[in-house]
Amino acid sequence: MARTPHHSLAGWQSRVYACACRTGRLALAPALLLPTVASAAYSFNFPEPVTPIARETLHIHNEFMLIITILFVVVFAIMIYSMIKHRKSIGHQPAKFVGPTGALQWFWALIPFAILLFIDFVLMGIPAVQAIINMEDTKTKADMVLKVTGMQWKWQYEYPESGLKFISTLSTPRDQIANAEAKGEHYLLEVDKPVVLPVGKKVRILLTSTDVIHTWWVPQFGVKRDAIPGFLRETWVLIEKPGIYRGQCAELCGKDHGFMPVVVHAVPEPEYLAWLEAQKAEAKTAAGGADRTWSKDELVAEGKAVYEKVCAACHQPDGKGLPPAFPALAGSKVVNAPLLDMNGKVIKDSHVDRVLHGKAGTAMQAFSASLSDVELAAVITYERNSFGNQMGDMIQPAQIKSLR
Amino acid sequence: MAPAFSDADLARRRSAARRLGWLLGAAVLALYLIGLFIKR
Amino acid sequence: MSTATTHAAEHPAEHYPGGLMRWLTTTNHKDIGTMYLTFSLIMFFVGGLMILAVRAELFQPGLQLMRPEFFNQLIGVHALVMIFAALMPAATGFANWMLPLMIGAPDMALPRLNNWGFWLLPPAAILLTLPFTLALFGIGDGALATGWTFYAPLSVQGGMGVDFAILAVHILGISSIMGSINIIVTIFNMRAPGMTMMKLPLFAWGWLITAFLLIATLPVLAGAVTMLLTDRHFGTHFFDAAGGGDPILFQHLFWFFGHPEVYILLLPVWGLMPHVLSTFSRKPAYGYTAQVYSFIAIGLLSVVVWAHHFFTAGMPIPALVYFMFSTMAISIPLAVLFFCWIATMWKGAMTFETPMLFAVGFIVLFGIAGLTGLILADVAADAQYHHSYFVVAHFHYALFAGGIMGVMTGVYYWLPKWTGHMYSEKLGKLHFWLTVFSFNLTFIPQFFLGLAGMPRRIPDYALQFAEFNAISTLGAFVLGLSQLLFAWNIWCCVRGGPKVESRVWEGAEGLEWELSSPPPHHSWETQPTIK
Repeated sequence: MARTPHHSLAGWQSRVYACACRTGRLALAPALLLPTVASAAYSFNFPEPVTPIARETLHIHNEFMLIITILFVVVFAIMIYSMIKHRKSIGHQPAKFVGPTGALQWFWALIPFAILLFIDFVLMGIPAVQAIINMEDTKTKADMVLKVTGMQWKWQYEYPESGLKFISTLSTPRDQIANAEAKGEHYLLEVDKPVVLPVGKKVRILLTSTDVIHTWWVPQFGVKRDAIPGFLRETWVLIEKPGIYRGQCAELCGKDHGFMPVVVHAVPEPEYLAWLEAQKAEAKTAAGGADRTWSKDELVAEGKAVYEKVCAACHQPDGKGLPPAFPALAGSKVVNAPLLDMNGKVIKDSHVDRVLHGKAGTAMQAFSASLSDVELAAVITYERNSFGNQMGDMIQPAQIKSLR
Repeated sequence: MAPAFSDADLARRRSAARRLGWLLGAAVLALYLIGLFIKR
Repeated sequence: MSTATTHAAEHPAEHYPGGLMRWLTTTNHKDIGTMYLTFSLIMFFVGGLMILAVRAELFQPGLQLMRPEFFNQLIGVHALVMIFAALMPAATGFANWMLPLMIGAPDMALPRLNNWGFWLLPPAAILLTLPFTLALFGIGDGALATGWTFYAPLSVQGGMGVDFAILAVHILGISSIMGSINIIVTIFNMRAPGMTMMKLPLFAWGWLITAFLLIATLPVLAGAVTMLLTDRHFGTHFFDAAGGGDPILFQHLFWFFGHPEVYILLLPVWGLMPHVLSTFSRKPAYGYTAQVYSFIAIGLLSVVVWAHHFFTAGMPIPALVYFMFSTMAISIPLAVLFFCWIATMWKGAMTFETPMLFAVGFIVLFGIAGLTGLILADVAADAQYHHSYFVVAHFHYALFAGGIMGVMTGVYYWLPKWTGHMYSEKLGKLHFWLTVFSFNLTFIPQFFLGLAGMPRRIPDYALQFAEFNAISTLGAFVLGLSQLLFAWNIWCCVRGGPKVESRVWEGAEGLEWELSSPPPHHSWETQPTIK
């Protein structure tokens, strides 16, 4: 079996926050039982926090772990003492009491609950409420907005202020997942196009979804929030340290739930602005392409790239799909049918209709909002002329534009 | 020793149990049906 | 089956059909209890096999054994089987067998309803697992792949496995409601003269609260999945924002049932614990009244805390604060129970037979579930724990260490009473130590996986999670295999073994120990004396 050597994981280990030692010590015991693997990378606590929320969360977590560890040790020390001292085999005679008698006993019986009430509602409760108020304060002094849209099984990121929008998908090769080649260092936690955010800016994150519920989670940000179809949820991050931060979808969202990572590049602001300008210029060039006439070969070549990024997870790279949930495109009745009606309008339930508007109640989503005119035209043309489909026709980006 | 329950007593208890059983069943059904009228 | 033959031998005048018809038509609480327990044991292994396949896939990074779709089916059906077909029937089996003996009743109040309640279970279990088989023949795409929570809209777009599961949940729900009604009316109407409510054994109290919780929450689950069914097939939009619905509504409805369900699974076990602890400490249970009121308090609190299962779905700050504090409040009555359990042991004369070992193991490991549950209630920290392996570890401490080990406590405690034979203490103790060791080996690493950021329900994972997953899989296989000892011990005990007296355990108190072991086919032909 192809496995990356353990030393490549050392980076992760070094990132484990110093506090881990405090709460981790107790927990190390079971790992030490396995000396052969004890040299590998183990982490016993949250990864290093890089936002105020994550720091606060880690602090709360460490404090709570300490409290419950003490509770655990004290309570079970008493029990174990009793189990040693009050055994029949050493001749202990059973007592007869069935409850507290007298004021003093009542006092001692009630003390643990007074302590517990104090722990629940004061010691743990007050910091918890403060943390909630911080977490939910998405609007105060927000510097920018990032819109995150979950889709089966990729993330779309949108910068509303600059009109920039792109899809970010898993870039780990399928061969690595199938154990046909060695796994890379960031196996399953790498994407083709990471989202870029400036360091030191409060970013208000709006979340929604096009199909089912997804959850956007980056452990080092201390942020986990659901992306719900038809609704907008929000959260915020203020990244304090440049770096590459990785997370995953946390809500079961179907077949490739385990294969839709989140990768965030946090960079200093000037670098971020430069990246933004470059992206905008690129988007402009791409949009310009929508107005010219494309050749079929151009469309098929572009379409193949779009297909492999967006469609192949379900319909498979060979177009055979995974029936019945994910139908085949090869030889499909939907694909091998007229492109548009005689007036150049969309035919209901046709190939173009499915790609633009999706199919309700299935994983086939509406792509009209997430793909550009060029991408839509290209992928439709590609599908009609691949996997043994020989329709020979094509659709121009300009046509898609007019059909929207 | 006397039997646990006389036949008459047992019959009375069983019919009381049956009445309460139907009542609980009706409550369950009512809860279920009310749920279906949640408007959204 | 030897219990059956023993009864028959003692009652030559009994007339009931032999063979299969006897079991199909029986209205005897002991027969039905035996069937519940047998069914539960079988389904325990079915659900266990499913999760071993899952753990095998997770042994190493990469996809080795199965496609992600199949993985998703296994985890969801594992949960449904373990909860609805293993744990709940086991508790109902206990109730059927023991309640009439413990409260001095000749049988359950509604014997025919009782028969129905049981015989709905096997068809439901078949419905739940049938899609796996159908898929082998090319029909449909397998069982439900949404996890046991059925979250819409994923469940709306799912295949026909979802419909099968919806139907199965309806039937399982009806069965549980029948069982609950029977238990409530039996406790209310069939107690022997002199057995007042506050003299009721704590096991009966635990089950009484469970039964009320089932009656209050199962209709809501049934309603939620019915709405799901109509969304899927009849064009309604309860959970579809495009039609004015709300996917989060499903989560509210589901967890309104789902959270009390945790206590439904645990209350019978909590009711059983004081009996076992007091027996093997040779000392009466501490704080009877306090325990009764704690049961009631937990029952009431459990129906008002549901939204802590989806803090990350987003809700207003007052709602977050309310659900956090109400959840933390459950720790108080729960702490009362822990206090009473330990106070029952305190200054007793303890011996550690297998049931006592399981009871002590239960207390310690369930303590971990309770304490991690306390910190999970914290909204900020929950943002990290939620939907990670931390939660998976937490609820397995609650439902395996709390639920299943509690059931095992009961089985070892009452098995000699049911069969009239002693099981092998040696095997029982071996089973205990193997179970405790391998259970912790399986789930302690999962706490750390969750903290490091591994989401649950993923068939493949990043390399930094590899070591802990390998350890966890190792533990899971030892855990699974050691349960064969359990089954073997039960099998041998049913077949034969040293004869036991009516009072099987030296310190046992309560009506059930005044009847012979095994008890006669018709219990309490003479009136018991209530102390």
